[in-house]
Amino acid sequence: MKKVFLEGAISSEFIAESIAKHQSKHSIGAHNIFLGQVRADEVGDQKVVAIEYTAYEEMANEKLHEIRESAFEKFDLTCLHIYHSLGKVEVGEICIFVFVSSKRRKQVYEATEYLVNRVKEEVPIFGKEIFDNADHQWKVNS
Amino acid sequence: MITINYFGNIAEAAQSDSETLEQTSMSLAELLDLLDSKYAIGKFPFQVAVNRKIVSKQQALNISDSDEVALLPPFAGG
Repeated sequence: MKKVFLEGAISSEFIAESIAKHQSKHSIGAHNIFLGQVRADEVGDQKVVAIEYTAYEEMANEKLHEIRESAFEKFDLTCLHIYHSLGKVEVGEICIFVFVSSKRRKQVYEATEYLVNRVKEEVPIFGKEIFDNADHQWKVNS
Repeated sequence: MITINYFGNIAEAAQSDSETLEQTSMSLAELLDLLDSKYAIGKFPFQVAVNRKIVSKQQALNISDSDEVALLPPFAGG
């Protein structure tokens, strides 16, 4: 099973290196990347300063495996990668990185959207939004 | 023993990420009643997973020894 969960924010270096690793795969003609960044939502007079992620990892990994398989069946892809943070990710940092590669352009847009939607809806990941006064609330995907 | 995993606000209410119950067999309805009496989980929105698969809370399901149950609040990935 592919490793999805990373501790803390996903760094620009990690993302750059993932791109570089694909330069030896010469059948690829198109990459598409989705990056989710922690936003400073305002709730009343509080502001979100970070999100602390937890997951039911065993179930999440099974679900992510199923989502990957189904994306390969649905779209003509060369490869795909999904990474998600666990632990604390500060506002402005990256918490999800979805990277889809194919021979041609059309498939990668659709596949990226499909993957991000399914991860948000079906993978048991939980987010504690931490406010600037150290209070918190539990994030719900809308 | 039955293992129960808690996440998010339910883990806060239970003051724990997981626990094991002495019981070796009970229905899902009985289990949810028991947990509601301990932690008032009824006030939270959540789904139930048994052995890492989502099941309906209303399903007539027997939970037995070595089953892994999880109470999952709304997902917030991405």
